[in-house]
Amino acid sequence: MRIVVCVKEVLDPDAVNNYAVAGRLEIGDDGKTLTQTAIPRLMNGFDEQAIEAALRLRDAGADFTLAVVSAGESPEKLLKHAAALGADEVVAIQVDPGSLDYHLVAALISAQIEASGGADVVLCGRQASDDDQGVVPALIAERLDMSLVTIAKAVELEGTTLRITRVTPDGDERVETACPAVVTITNELGDPRYPTAAAKVKARRVKPTTVTPDDLKLDADDLAPRVSVTRQFVPEVQGNCEMLQGDSPAALADALIEKLRADSII
Amino acid sequence: MSQNAVIVCTWGEDQDGLPVGAEEVLHIGRGLAADLGTDLAWLVLGALPSAAPETAGRYGVANLLQVEDAKLESPQPDALVAALAAVAGERSPRALLFHQTQASRAVAPRVAGRLGDAVVMNGVSADLSGECIVVTASAYGGDTRVVYEVSGRCPVIAFIANAVVPEPGDGAAVAAEALSVDLTGVEERVKIVEPARFEGPRLDDAEIIVSGGRGLGSSDNYKLIEQLAAALGGLPGASRPLVDDGWVDSSQQVGLTGRITRPNLYVAIGISGASQHMAGCSAAKTLVAINRDAEAAIFQYAKYGIVGDALELLPELIRAAGAR
Ligand SMILES: Cc1cc2nc3c(=O)[nH]c(=O)nc-3n(C[C@H](O)[C@H](O)[C@H](O)COP(=O)(O)OP(=O)(O)OC[C@H]3O[C@@H](n4cnc5c(N)ncnc54)[C@H](O)[C@@H]3O)c2cc1C
Repeated sequence: MRIVVCVKEVLDPDAVNNYAVAGRLEIGDDGKTLTQTAIPRLMNGFDEQAIEAALRLRDAGADFTLAVVSAGESPEKLLKHAAALGADEVVAIQVDPGSLDYHLVAALISAQIEASGGADVVLCGRQASDDDQGVVPALIAERLDMSLVTIAKAVELEGTTLRITRVTPDGDERVETACPAVVTITNELGDPRYPTAAAKVKARRVKPTTVTPDDLKLDADDLAPRVSVTRQFVPEVQGNCEMLQGDSPAALADALIEKLRADSII
Repeated sequence: MSQNAVIVCTWGEDQDGLPVGAEEVLHIGRGLAADLGTDLAWLVLGALPSAAPETAGRYGVANLLQVEDAKLESPQPDALVAALAAVAGERSPRALLFHQTQASRAVAPRVAGRLGDAVVMNGVSADLSGECIVVTASAYGGDTRVVYEVSGRCPVIAFIANAVVPEPGDGAAVAAEALSVDLTGVEERVKIVEPARFEGPRLDDAEIIVSGGRGLGSSDNYKLIEQLAAALGGLPGASRPLVDDGWVDSSQQVGLTGRITRPNLYVAIGISGASQHMAGCSAAKTLVAINRDAEAAIFQYAKYGIVGDALELLPELIRAAGAR
């Protein structure tokens, strides 16, 4: 059995939030990219949890090869982390992120999966914390003709059947599907583990397999971008708050409830 | 129906006889179709919502299309994707529009994948630039907006339409037109073994929500949030850390990856106001923020604010809300 986890490098979303809150989030001269070079780059949190989901399958006794794939400019750092966690293969698909659209990412990853022995399970984060799109897993499922289960918080494998708990607006749902399948992981899965110090040292020597779009022999239609970013901007927030005053918690509480009653909100 | 229409795609029906978000997306679709000089159509998969014909008239829908099939009775993804791709193949629409829900989030990109067409999620608006449809979408949880140019025949676009204020007109009701699609070969590949058990009212529909965040300090204090929500006749919600730490059920998480709410009143207590949280509550008509940090981002979104300690204020708020 072979499990492939797809990971993406993103700007640390907490750092982006901090800049945004401070009103210092800025877009560069190209009109598209954030200028803050000080923001650390790290593995998308949901993708880290997708690796964790695979490791839990291994803990539960499943026997498989674990491959971790990333498409981007220089995913080496992420891939070393994946190797330290126990990935057997780490693959970097080297592309200029500026030219990437979601179809192309899905085409590259799908072609790489097919060229390297296929996959019984493809695990992805539910969405990337930068663009929040969350469409690549579905596009991979379509390309590879796999079933798709989204927003999973627990994944079990029994033979070639996946038993999955999904988080839905109406509470948890239990589903089953046969491999091959694409499964997207949500934060409710819980904290991902850290690699041991020894594994980290060992992973330093790991060299990811590097492939380029040329190696994957995509056709012109696959390579044609369908979506391109023309602009990014920081939306303005109104900021029109009436601060209530009072010399005790009781007075403040009364002031608020009175306001809400006067506005007929309650 | 003419080819090249902008098609709003829905399934299911809410209490008010319409699919959730249908009016908002019809509103967006009407504008886009007008810009493109083409018709607006509404494609219903499965049972026709009772208010669909009148609503279609009010938003200038030229064709109300319905695909009925046993496999769409309680629509599952494989049947939906197959039906949508078949209709798109037959009718060559100019765009397929969806209201973004957890279900459409899985279905819409698969349709785009099957058609080989562009897909954009988290849309907040759509315009025309020359021949090209341009979608403005939320990114970084709402910290930024990205403007995407979508090329190709039939882009698939999902909107987070809770901030849209739909403006119905007064057109006459539109009769539904049946479309037949062959779904005989479609088998759902994912089997539901244990359905989600819907318990009680949902945050998505709540008029009043009181949410607590990490500022509550400990899980025990969350009961004060529940008490205040009850005193105000609303529902309790939470920010993500409370879900991650197991204080509350994930169905109570408000935000980008939780519930997208639009209540009359949203009271945020001990919540900093990160964009990913605000994505689920900034459409509230009135937002009240209670935080001990006067600089907290949440105050930028609030109508009324109190700088103070949540644990001191909550008992007083419960008392004041209960007193008449
Ligand atoms: C991809 C992604 C998706 C996400 N999705 C969501 C989502 O759907 N929903 C969500 O909520 N978050 C989401 N987050 C997390 C989000 O970025 C924030 O980390 C989170 O919302 C912070 O929660 P908080 O405000 O409760 O905690 P904090 O940010 O820690 O804020 C706590 C606040 O409480 C105040 N406080 C402390 N003590 C007191 C006191 N005694 N009295 C009053 N105030 C006090 C502090 O001043 C502070 O403002 C997501 C993040 C990412 C990266």
